[in-house]
Amino acid sequence: MATFTEHLRALGVDGLAALLDRRRDLAAPPPASVRALAARAGTRASLDRALARIDTGTLAGVEAVVALPPPVRPADVSHAVGAHADVWLGVAEDWGLVWQDDDGLHAAPGLSDLLGPHPAGLGPPLAETLARRSTEALATLAAEVGCTPTELAERLADTATVEGLLAEAPIGARAVLDALTWGPPVGRTPRPGTPGAGAVGWLLRTGLLAVGDPQHVVLPAEVALALRGGRTRREPPTPPAPTVVEVDSRTVDADAAGRALETVRLVGELLELWGRAPAAVLRSGGLGARELKRVAAALEVDAGTAALLVEVAGAARLVAEDGEESPSFCPTTVADDWAGDDAAHRWVELVRAWLTAERAPWLVGSRDEAGSLRGALDSAHRRPWVPRLRAAVLGALADAGGRVDAADLHTVLAWRTPRSAPTEHAVQAVLDEAAVLGVTGAGALGGPARQLLAGWVPPDGTEPTFTPTAVLGAAAALSQTLPAPVDEVLLGGDLTGVVPGRPSDALEALLTDVAQVESRGAGLTVRFTEESLRGALDRRSAPEILDALASHARGEVPQPLRYLVTDAARRHGQVRVGSGAAYLRGDPAALAGIEQTPALRALGLRVLAPGVLISPTEPAALLEALRAAGLPAAAEDAAGTVLHARPTRHRVRHTPMPVPDPEVARRRLLRVAGDLVADTGGPAAAPVPPADGTPEPSEALAVLRAAVGAGTEVWLEVASPGGTTRRRVRPLLVEGGRVRVLDQQRAAELTVAVHRIAGAQPVDGPAGVRVDRSADGPVEDGEAWTDH
Amino acid sequence: MDGPLIVQSDKTLLLEIDHPAAEEARRAIAPFAELERAPEHVHTYRLTPLGLWNASAAGHDAEQVVAALLDHSRYPVPHALLVDVAETMSRYGRLQLVDHPTHGLVLHALDRAVLEEVLRSKRTAGMLGTRIDADDVVVHPSERGRLKQALVKLGWPAEDLAGYVDGEAHAIDLVTEGWGLRPYQQQAADGFWHGGSGVVVLPCGAGKTIVGAAAMARARSTTLILVTNTVAARQWRDELLRRTTLTEEEIGEYSGARKEIRPVTIATYQVLTTKRKGVYPHLELLDARDWGLIVYDEVHLLPAPIFRMTADLQARRRLGLTATLVREDGREDEVFSLIGPKRYDAPWKDIEAQGYIAPAVCTEVRLSLPDAQRMVYATAEAEDRYRLAASAEGKNTVVEQLVARHAEDQLLVIGQYLDQLELLADHLDAPLITGQTTVKERQRLFDAFRAGEIRRLVVSKVANFSVDLPEAAVAIQVSGSFGSRQEEAQRLGRIMRPKADGRTAHFYAVVTRDTVDQEMAAHRQRFLAEQGYAYRIVDAHDLDAPPR
Repeated sequence: MATFTEHLRALGVDGLAALLDRRRDLAAPPPASVRALAARAGTRASLDRALARIDTGTLAGVEAVVALPPPVRPADVSHAVGAHADVWLGVAEDWGLVWQDDDGLHAAPGLSDLLGPHPAGLGPPLAETLARRSTEALATLAAEVGCTPTELAERLADTATVEGLLAEAPIGARAVLDALTWGPPVGRTPRPGTPGAGAVGWLLRTGLLAVGDPQHVVLPAEVALALRGGRTRREPPTPPAPTVVEVDSRTVDADAAGRALETVRLVGELLELWGRAPAAVLRSGGLGARELKRVAAALEVDAGTAALLVEVAGAARLVAEDGEESPSFCPTTVADDWAGDDAAHRWVELVRAWLTAERAPWLVGSRDEAGSLRGALDSAHRRPWVPRLRAAVLGALADAGGRVDAADLHTVLAWRTPRSAPTEHAVQAVLDEAAVLGVTGAGALGGPARQLLAGWVPPDGTEPTFTPTAVLGAAAALSQTLPAPVDEVLLGGDLTGVVPGRPSDALEALLTDVAQVESRGAGLTVRFTEESLRGALDRRSAPEILDALASHARGEVPQPLRYLVTDAARRHGQVRVGSGAAYLRGDPAALAGIEQTPALRALGLRVLAPGVLISPTEPAALLEALRAAGLPAAAEDAAGTVLHARPTRHRVRHTPMPVPDPEVARRRLLRVAGDLVADTGGPAAAPVPPADGTPEPSEALAVLRAAVGAGTEVWLEVASPGGTTRRRVRPLLVEGGRVRVLDQQRAAELTVAVHRIAGAQPVDGPAGVRVDRSADGPVEDGEAWTDH
Repeated sequence: MDGPLIVQSDKTLLLEIDHPAAEEARRAIAPFAELERAPEHVHTYRLTPLGLWNASAAGHDAEQVVAALLDHSRYPVPHALLVDVAETMSRYGRLQLVDHPTHGLVLHALDRAVLEEVLRSKRTAGMLGTRIDADDVVVHPSERGRLKQALVKLGWPAEDLAGYVDGEAHAIDLVTEGWGLRPYQQQAADGFWHGGSGVVVLPCGAGKTIVGAAAMARARSTTLILVTNTVAARQWRDELLRRTTLTEEEIGEYSGARKEIRPVTIATYQVLTTKRKGVYPHLELLDARDWGLIVYDEVHLLPAPIFRMTADLQARRRLGLTATLVREDGREDEVFSLIGPKRYDAPWKDIEAQGYIAPAVCTEVRLSLPDAQRMVYATAEAEDRYRLAASAEGKNTVVEQLVARHAEDQLLVIGQYLDQLELLADHLDAPLITGQTTVKERQRLFDAFRAGEIRRLVVSKVANFSVDLPEAAVAIQVSGSFGSRQEEAQRLGRIMRPKADGRTAHFYAVVTRDTVDQEMAAHRQRFLAEQGYAYRIVDAHDLDAPPR
């Protein structure tokens, strides 16, 4: 029989590279030898990762290989799971979970621990349960069954024998077996005299049950299989058929494009907002609930969307902490480049950031286990599994090719990765976010997002990346879907304007500056008011505003609008605030009104001279208060000229997100695999004695596991306060960070903590390992070997 | 895809009217979308649950609505909006109001869960009687209207299959000698009759009374007409005598002055809502006869008590007439749910284009307060400011200039404040009509004005509506009741009857600059601006220039 190590070695360079590509945790850091690789592949952590990513069918196949009594042939597995299992076994082999030689299929070392203690709900094999009986008991049992003691195991695994025995069983025996057949295979031993006691006693006598421990009985694996008709699963694994609602791809793309544009616009507004007034960072890190509410109000979105936008902007490095003494979030220099890009590229950047962000925006605003609010942009809330979740959800949606609801998508994911299926809530959250961002439209995956996903090297612990073609392709696809920008506005006599389509960037900038947006959607409607113009008049003169409007208007600028702009300009600056001495001057009547206004009393205004007021308040605060009271005040300089203020734009220097080349990663894996094969001299090379160095603890564990399986003895070196001790023991069980061993010389069972094991070496072979424990700290408990 | 329609995410629909396919699109969306604004380039419609349910009630289904949106939209329609339309419309008619052969009015459920939800709601408490079986509950007949209103608020509007009482038959026919129903009047009357009950919105001067007469001729039953005041009641009577076979003996007036109950009775809102010792003594009028039709004139002014009375009248056909269904109290929806949905609505400018109302030019004249008055204004208490600004002395000069400019025209000066109006009447040497003027005197002055014996009238808000002065071509508004949009529109309405020589009507609003008067004016003008009447703004000192 070959070993797992030999199997791996036989894979060759391409085979190993393929394995390492699937299980990247095995490649980093590069393993020293194929043996080290095999040992690493058998560790709990690595197997857990691998099992987390295989589908239900493959898992059923692996489970059957672990559970069925050897030798296991592919046909046995197919029979056991109730479906054709060859493809699943192939996948399991690709993942290094099972391997095959002339003796049949074998599970990778360590798997039985992981799938145990009752893989497929099966108890211990008959070989084990019968071995616990004395010779006399076996003879009695053989007489009961009607065979020799050596034939017992074979007979009890036979359906006909079991059914034959059961035909004479006392009442209740069948019910006991029915309860245990599909697992768990362990039941409590009834007290003598209770109704079940007779039935259980009979079952124990006939060998159909075995004693587990003084309180429990256990159903041997072969008996259970005989009762199950050889099945390891009650139902054959069947992939779910989700309800897919087909949606016309134009509808999907149009819908997605609409939302994509909206997202880009909102992120732009967020940058604008924080550029003017950065948002304070909480002392505990992240963005406070009040700041988030401010964003939501300014962007006119709900809090959930605001959190998503903020997180996406953060992930895309468009906003960051400025690192000041009292830090705030503000736009980065990356944001300036981003803003200069076209809408499609801006969107791709955002979605790229969202897909790869190890963050869960939908949890913002909820409370963690400690009861404190989870804030947005809090670096403490890193969640490495989220990109994988997004890839899984969107991948399933892409495969479905239509709209699928969260519940159905959840069953698909539960099939695809049964050991790491996300909650339905998380699936819904990803779908909701995808909808907001325009990754999906009408519930189905949009064309541009599909292109981007196709070029995404899926996240698996290493840096996730997108191919440049995917990035460009997605942007091009979105550009094609977007309606052509409209550069024309229809101005109405009722002081409204309508852009019949998506406004061009220039037109949108103009209209949002001088007017109030009334509605958005396929088009844009705005209303001009004196208030909306007041802000704009700080930046442009009335003729400039009118010229700009005229250059975009279909037809003439209506007279009422022209009058409004001119009149607003006339009133603009009617009351002026000085910066030097904090005075107010202007029209005496207007000033008299101001002085009379009770709401402004706090400013301490008083008449200095006819037409001039003075105030102890800082000019800026004064100006703000006057405007808040609805007065058309403006600041002026010493010469009496109205100041034209420009908005401040805060920035943090930052570099854009890199686009790593996945080809580089693949070449690296090939090199690692090449080194491995070259190092070991190929499949035929003799086992290499352990290098004098620091092999991994996992290798020692592999030696111990192999010894458990084979029932052989090892030399075990254990670090203890007095130095390393060495004993010859038979390992019984490796589990949960502990190893149970039998010291036959002292006839004692001992438990050793794995972190104390310094080395393990098979007694009959040279291939042992030593673990370097020099780095471990002093042992504190003083007792390395624990009597069991 | 190059349709005239643009769908916004707030469920407004923008219709670009210069587009060749605009008219077709308008016809397609009119059954389910509410016309909200109709300025010169782009009309705005809105999708509301009520509008969609009214469309359902009129026999349109979600598929037609979705198809209309998709067919006429220039850009792809958001999927969520289409889903929302279908979902909203599917809520209509899960419950039905039916006339049960033994139990009378019954709420019948096609969806039992909905009935359970409705039964458990506080809103329906006291409206429903015993439960007959799993799907049927008795409804108190007097609660029919209130129940329907409550169900609309719960989002499960009922399909009303209980029908209308025919009322006492009474022969009424139109006498179409020398005139005929205009196409839109015919459409409005037909729309009302097919719908059973509802509101017809037509611009002032477009002949709403005739739509009422046509509806009466369709109903051929006793009719109760509710109007705003006695002058309006007399106008209705005269118009009915002229346009229908009705004789003087058949038409009664039920007002402060007279209490006649005849086959066709015209009553004022005021007399119905008069309260004595906590009761409405004249409410029994509503039950005095077995009315087959109730007409509500100027339904936008329907007072709150009548709202409640109307809820009891749901078995009778109801016709609401208005030019301006904007209520400053925001109760438009109640009008719709109690009288019935909008059955006909035409943009003012459309009727103008057809030549049935006079083209009108609206001008806002702005004058500045002299410095001394500005100081008075600036230091005045907030509640006095509007009055101060609105009755500024400078307005008198402006009015005189405007009157001089329109020396040949029949002209009205309209205002809010009596002392201001008295002063103006004095200045212009024109008669003054206010609330204190007797009905007889009013009639006499209006008749003289119609006959051309008087060229100028100074009137208070009594002439805001329902006063028919066909040859009035100029109106000058010096003050009003704050920011009332419908008052502005109704005042423009006084001069919108088509003139014999096709002259353009002129409407002037005289406004004091930089005061609350100007702010109020902006608000007042909103309804008309949304109907496409763009106000030219002129400075008072530019008025000396000759008119263009």
